[in-house]
Amino acid sequence: MSRREDWGEVGGADALDAAIPPPATNTLRWLQPLRTRAVLGLTPVVAPAVLFVPIGAALGPAFTNVLNPTALGYLEPMVAVALAVLGVFAGLALDLRGQRDGRLFAAASLEALATLIIVGGAFLVLLISWRIPLALPYGLVAVMLGLCASVSSAGGAEGTSPTHAMAARIADLDDVLPIVVSGLVVVMLGSATPIPVWQAVAWLFRTILLGIAVGTAGWLLFERAHSRAERNVFIAGIVALIGGTSSFLGLSPLLAGLMAGLLWVWLPGQADRVVRSDLQRVQHPLIVVLLLVAGASCEFSRQAMWLAGPLVLFRLTGKLAGGWLAMRVQGMVTAGELGLHLMTPGLLGIAVALHLLHVARTPGMTAVLTAVVVATLASEALALVLRPSDGSGA
Amino acid sequence: MRLLALAIIVATTAVVTATADAASRGGGPGTALAIGFALIAASLTGELFERFRLPRISGYLFFGVVCGPYAGAILTPGMARELQVINGVAIALIAFIAGLEINFSRLRPQLRAMLTMGGVMLALMWITLSVAFFLAWPWLPIAPEVEGLSRATMAALVATVTVSFSPTVSIAVITESRARGPLSELVLALVVLADLMLILLFTLSMEGVRFALGSGQAGHGILSGLAWEIFGSFAFGGIVGACFALYLRYIGREVTVVLLGVAVMLSQVGGALHFEPLLAALGAGLVVENIAPPEGDALRLAVERGALPVLVLFFAAAGANLHIGALAQVGLFAVAIAALRMALIHASAKAGARIAGLAGEPPSLAWMGLVSQAGVTLGLAILISAEFPDWGGRLYALIVSMIALHETIGPILFRNALARAGEVGRMDLPENVERRTPNAGVRV
Repeated sequence: MSRREDWGEVGGADALDAAIPPPATNTLRWLQPLRTRAVLGLTPVVAPAVLFVPIGAALGPAFTNVLNPTALGYLEPMVAVALAVLGVFAGLALDLRGQRDGRLFAAASLEALATLIIVGGAFLVLLISWRIPLALPYGLVAVMLGLCASVSSAGGAEGTSPTHAMAARIADLDDVLPIVVSGLVVVMLGSATPIPVWQAVAWLFRTILLGIAVGTAGWLLFERAHSRAERNVFIAGIVALIGGTSSFLGLSPLLAGLMAGLLWVWLPGQADRVVRSDLQRVQHPLIVVLLLVAGASCEFSRQAMWLAGPLVLFRLTGKLAGGWLAMRVQGMVTAGELGLHLMTPGLLGIAVALHLLHVARTPGMTAVLTAVVVATLASEALALVLRPSDGSGA
Repeated sequence: MRLLALAIIVATTAVVTATADAASRGGGPGTALAIGFALIAASLTGELFERFRLPRISGYLFFGVVCGPYAGAILTPGMARELQVINGVAIALIAFIAGLEINFSRLRPQLRAMLTMGGVMLALMWITLSVAFFLAWPWLPIAPEVEGLSRATMAALVATVTVSFSPTVSIAVITESRARGPLSELVLALVVLADLMLILLFTLSMEGVRFALGSGQAGHGILSGLAWEIFGSFAFGGIVGACFALYLRYIGREVTVVLLGVAVMLSQVGGALHFEPLLAALGAGLVVENIAPPEGDALRLAVERGALPVLVLFFAAAGANLHIGALAQVGLFAVAIAALRMALIHASAKAGARIAGLAGEPPSLAWMGLVSQAGVTLGLAILISAEFPDWGGRLYALIVSMIALHETIGPILFRNALARAGEVGRMDLPENVERRTPNAGVRV
């Protein structure tokens, strides 16, 4: 298993898959596509979001109502924990060793910032001129759409070229800036009355403090567990605590998770490695729940559709421009090439939008989530068409 | 260091719950917080108990009681209630693991003797308790004014609820102790059999009480209801298990996701169709183990290794929902009935083993695995209370306090029995080493 597979958004192979005897491959050949899929999807064309979001939408209140509002309420703790897990993986990816990694991080942050500014700025102009009724400040909507567009996943793990490997690393690192900014947005959106920026920043520091406090407790526990089973309990408990405490206070589990992950990387010991390997056991079910809930929470309104189309185009522009800028910092890849590798949005954008919806349940936020979901699926399709010239993209 | 970690976690949780406004307590975030706190703090409490030679499970329960809404109130009533919802999936998983343990080819030589022992035990206990309750009825805090046929049917109904065991707790103790061997298999068979028989007995007793009290619902679809609940549950679980076995054999990808989906289907969909989730999940596990043994065995080992968080959560939630107040109200009666029940379990297990021709250490220790009471008993008490709110409510208080006692004592006794039988930790031994281990076993 490659390093990339190890800490990616959807992790490596499922832990139970490896434990049971390999399935019989010489019988029932028509089942072959199900046996040869990549992690949580059908390789090479279907990403997890493409598979599970439509299932969630079909099961949701808009269609069959199997996942009715009560069921969605019961799944909310799982979503909080899933967000914390995604944050932890983003933090663990910040294992920066040497100048080269530092430059990669700077390039990734610059690429994310460029996409955020391009998408956010374009949407601000568009929203003011179109006057779409969202009952939310246009500036906030623009920032939220920019945030969700700025994350990327660099496509499937099958790419082997050096460009793809670097794009994969940048895709891991470009999540950090959006997660930090989303921590601010969560506080501003969750407040009943508008709050000044300095107060939002103060709450941001509380989120960071919370992540560090629970992360420290985890660090003290993980390596002192008497057995692997006990360590599993501690890791599951710490991640649930990160998700639970931050959501309870209306803060961002993604940011708290990021801080905890970062702490485990920086502190001495094996905490980062044990967390990475043990979280893989629960990562896939949590991601499936997150995507199902996101799909079920969508309402395909006219406002959502008006936002989704431009979001795909602005994101494409933002990624190409961001990729070009990152190339300048990195000085390795041809212009535009890196942007094409980063076209695949992954699932963090959906996770951020879903969390923002949980913070402020308004029709406007539902439209934002639906737009992000539709744009993610469209961007996945676009990534299949706009393949990099080295053929290693998704 | 572990204490320092615990202090940080307790302090963080206390600060967070004190800071958040009352409106945000409970709900999704509250449940995630409760799960995280319960997993770590209960696990550390379990470890502390182990140092005093007590089972870890008692530590998990103790944590739940101390932090639950009826004592320390760190976990609010809303959180405790939502932990129970997650428990539905936990129970399905625990029963599924138990089903994976039941391999017919391994059990076939002893199956008849086990069934005989269970049948004799249940019959002796039910008859004795029915007579005892009938005689002591005027002094019991249920409905002392009732006489004649009504008194006899109500005594039989109370006896049915009192006899009931907790398959979930027994299975959970076996899994947590990583136990395997003749005693584990015997107790597993007895509690499953008792669960089936009690559904039958309860339905008949309820019909008797309805008839005696002149309730309008008497005689309404008893057999169809019973068939649906018992056979329907097994059939539903069997179909789900067969599909899962085929999935394991021919696809075998994303097994964790599919397994959790199966657990949700068995607990939620099964529950909505009035199937008993425990029986359905047991049936599913049984079918997987017996249709696809290599996959079933591998799955069992892998799931058992990762089951600890589920068990910790299950027992912490059970502790958090224990009504300590009820014990204070009718504690004396509860203690007396619990003592009588325990003595009867001991005596009837001995008699049952003798009649079934079972000898050796496991049958003589089996009674210790049958003391626990939990969800099944509570469910029966709730059904009575819903239909007969007046005296059913008083019976409910009595049953709840009995459960508090049995749930505390039961796991301690069973774990002790497993240790005496030398079965603790034998799940971790390779099969061939286990077979060579000298042990008396059940001699038929």
